[in-house]
Amino acid sequence: MFATLLHIVNGHLGRLLGTCLHLARSFREWYLRPNLREQRGLNLLREWLSQEQLAQYDAHRYFEVTGCHTGKRYRIRHGNGANIIELDDAAMPRTGWCFVPRDPLVAGDVMLAQKIALETDERGALAVANNFTPR
Amino acid sequence: MATQIIMDLNGDTRHKFDVKDAKALLEAERRFKALTGAGFTAATRSASGDPVVTRAFDPTADETVFFPRLVGG
Repeated sequence: MFATLLHIVNGHLGRLLGTCLHLARSFREWYLRPNLREQRGLNLLREWLSQEQLAQYDAHRYFEVTGCHTGKRYRIRHGNGANIIELDDAAMPRTGWCFVPRDPLVAGDVMLAQKIALETDERGALAVANNFTPR
Repeated sequence: MATQIIMDLNGDTRHKFDVKDAKALLEAERRFKALTGAGFTAATRSASGDPVVTRAFDPTADETVFFPRLVGG
């Protein structure tokens, strides 16, 4: 009788423990997901940056690109928007530009899309962009 | 193996395919057309590493990145 009762309780405890472990794993995945998404975007960006751009980004959290049509230099700062600064000949901020992918993306993806756009279709990118006075 | 990388809410989604597999190649071309038709920009890299925007499916491209249409922020 006691052994049967113990067996039943043991089974219930096992199932309860299994459920708790499952919930803990789900919570961990939920908690870590934003970081994983961000990291995936940054990994992709790093794969596509030139060596010079990658060194700049690692040192300053920004990198510079050359516009394919005008030859102007742009600084792309780490961020999801309002993060592009057009530089003058003295490498001083001249104009801020803001254009982003239509869908919400992580910062690494946004910066990569901005880099590709300025390096391959500068005029097209600036045509949709809003500008602002850089600080 | 070639890879199509689509930027999305998860960072990106990757589709790998064997260019020697006719069915997989067809599926990759269908995906390319669907994405670019929906406004995505497709980009590959030149031998020197510079990005190149591509308007037509290139079965020889090792890696193609797709990002959504750009808008003013």
